[in-house]
Amino acid sequence: MTELVDPEDPAAGLAAVVALRRLADRLEDSQVERAMRAGWSWSDVAEVLGVTRQAVHKKHARRLVAAGVALRRR
Amino acid sequence: MPSDVRSILVRSARDEARRDGSRTIEAEHVLLALARRDETAAARLLAEAGLTEGAIRDALNREWEQSLATAGIAVRIGLLPEATPDPDRHPQIGESTKLLLKRAMDAPPKIGGGGLGPMRMLVGILDTERGRVARAFTAAGVDRAALRARAVTALAAGTR
Repeated sequence: MTELVDPEDPAAGLAAVVALRRLADRLEDSQVERAMRAGWSWSDVAEVLGVTRQAVHKKHARRLVAAGVALRRR
Repeated sequence: MPSDVRSILVRSARDEARRDGSRTIEAEHVLLALARRDETAAARLLAEAGLTEGAIRDALNREWEQSLATAGIAVRIGLLPEATPDPDRHPQIGESTKLLLKRAMDAPPKIGGGGLGPMRMLVGILDTERGRVARAFTAAGVDRAALRARAVTALAAGTR
């Protein structure tokens, strides 16, 4: 292992924050897409994520339409 | 293909950011955009250091894995579920890109008619030991300081 994974090193700790945000973003994008492909409603996805339906719709609808996902109305 | 700041930053780097699912264009996206311009001296300099486009992607993924490992998370980036990118997303200039542009503008020689070309942008990218790009270079075993010195020399010799 290199110094990159030294937990005593704040530079490594701060980089981990960035890495975790990237991971959360990637997981959100992929898992919302999976749920909607599986026929979930926006409301169901929003409830699991703990955000409003409007928020999740605003963030993902255009991308999923472009990806060819058949979206339910509600 | 023209290699000015507009085409590199606004077209190629934005494509990279979009593909990455990012809401902002960061230094790593600019670096990938530079590496893709095979015809430029900056891309050749990177390739000579082993930093082809593919090698840079691998190094960035390794940095990601190593930084996640710091937080106790063991993942292989290649095994992460993919998300379809938004083709209409319009990523904006991120903070790391603002910094690299400022550093590029400040690098000697004083910026003149040549404007902000690929080599100057590369100097701006290499001019920090912080952030994902610098860490990716470390992960790849690339001597960033030595590479920067070569880019600075090329810039001083009049390479755009």
